[in-house]
Amino acid sequence: MLKCKEVVDRADALVDGTPLSWREHFALRMHLLMCHHCRRYVRQLHALVTSLNGKNTPPASDEQVQGILDKLDHEH
Amino acid sequence: MELDGPQFIAKLKQGDRAAFGQLVKHHHGYLLATARSLLSPADAEEAVQDAWISAHRAIGKFEGRSQLRTWLTRIVINQARMMLRKQGREIQFDPTDDSDPLAHRFRDGGHWEQGPQQWDLGGPDSLLTRDELRHCMAKCLDSMPENQRLVLELRDMQGMDFDAICNMLDISASNVRVLLHRARARLFELVDHFQETGEC
Repeated sequence: MLKCKEVVDRADALVDGTPLSWREHFALRMHLLMCHHCRRYVRQLHALVTSLNGKNTPPASDEQVQGILDKLDHEH
Repeated sequence: MELDGPQFIAKLKQGDRAAFGQLVKHHHGYLLATARSLLSPADAEEAVQDAWISAHRAIGKFEGRSQLRTWLTRIVINQARMMLRKQGREIQFDPTDDSDPLAHRFRDGGHWEQGPQQWDLGGPDSLLTRDELRHCMAKCLDSMPENQRLVLELRDMQGMDFDAICNMLDISASNVRVLLHRARARLFELVDHFQETGEC
């Protein structure tokens, strides 16, 4: 039986969809079935990572693009 | 036109100014965010500008073995590391220099001393909609070791795959995973504390 600390160390693999051996997968699932703290940890870690993923990086403004193109012209 | 397609790359190699402008428009924000995970905002701005000049010079040699974003990110990271070296600093990607941020939450036997709080998730996108929590998160990111912050930025914020990150930073997949785990654990601790106390 895995310890909670070991489950937490492996939770990233569940969140990232990293393939695990059937033995590891089974051990994790068995633990999660019985431990509500670890179930909560995995669920909330997933929510946290999902919320980070949603962070949008806006495209550069026309002024920023122009500034860089001007700098390139200046270099040549 | 697809911004990673052969036609677009051919235009870049021919020195098409408009195509390069499109490239800048699309990638500049991501590159700036990457540089900011290693440098101060002013230095990051300078590093990315220098990286665009390097990219413009080198685009003729781009072989298409990676995506343009990966290629550009590598240039930015090299530029940032060069700036850090000039300041007498070096980023180490050896994760042994920092302990697991969640270690204190477990008893000696490896089970929870105190389990995680029940978070108010609301919906899948609502966790970071509160200004106070976003502010705390920004502070936590600022205080995080650079190597963890960079891996978190590339993987969780920009969605790069593990292979690209390993190749870009020239480190093993296991080191990337340890750094990512520690960065996420720090943020988890922060959100957990915030959910309990309403404070950072």
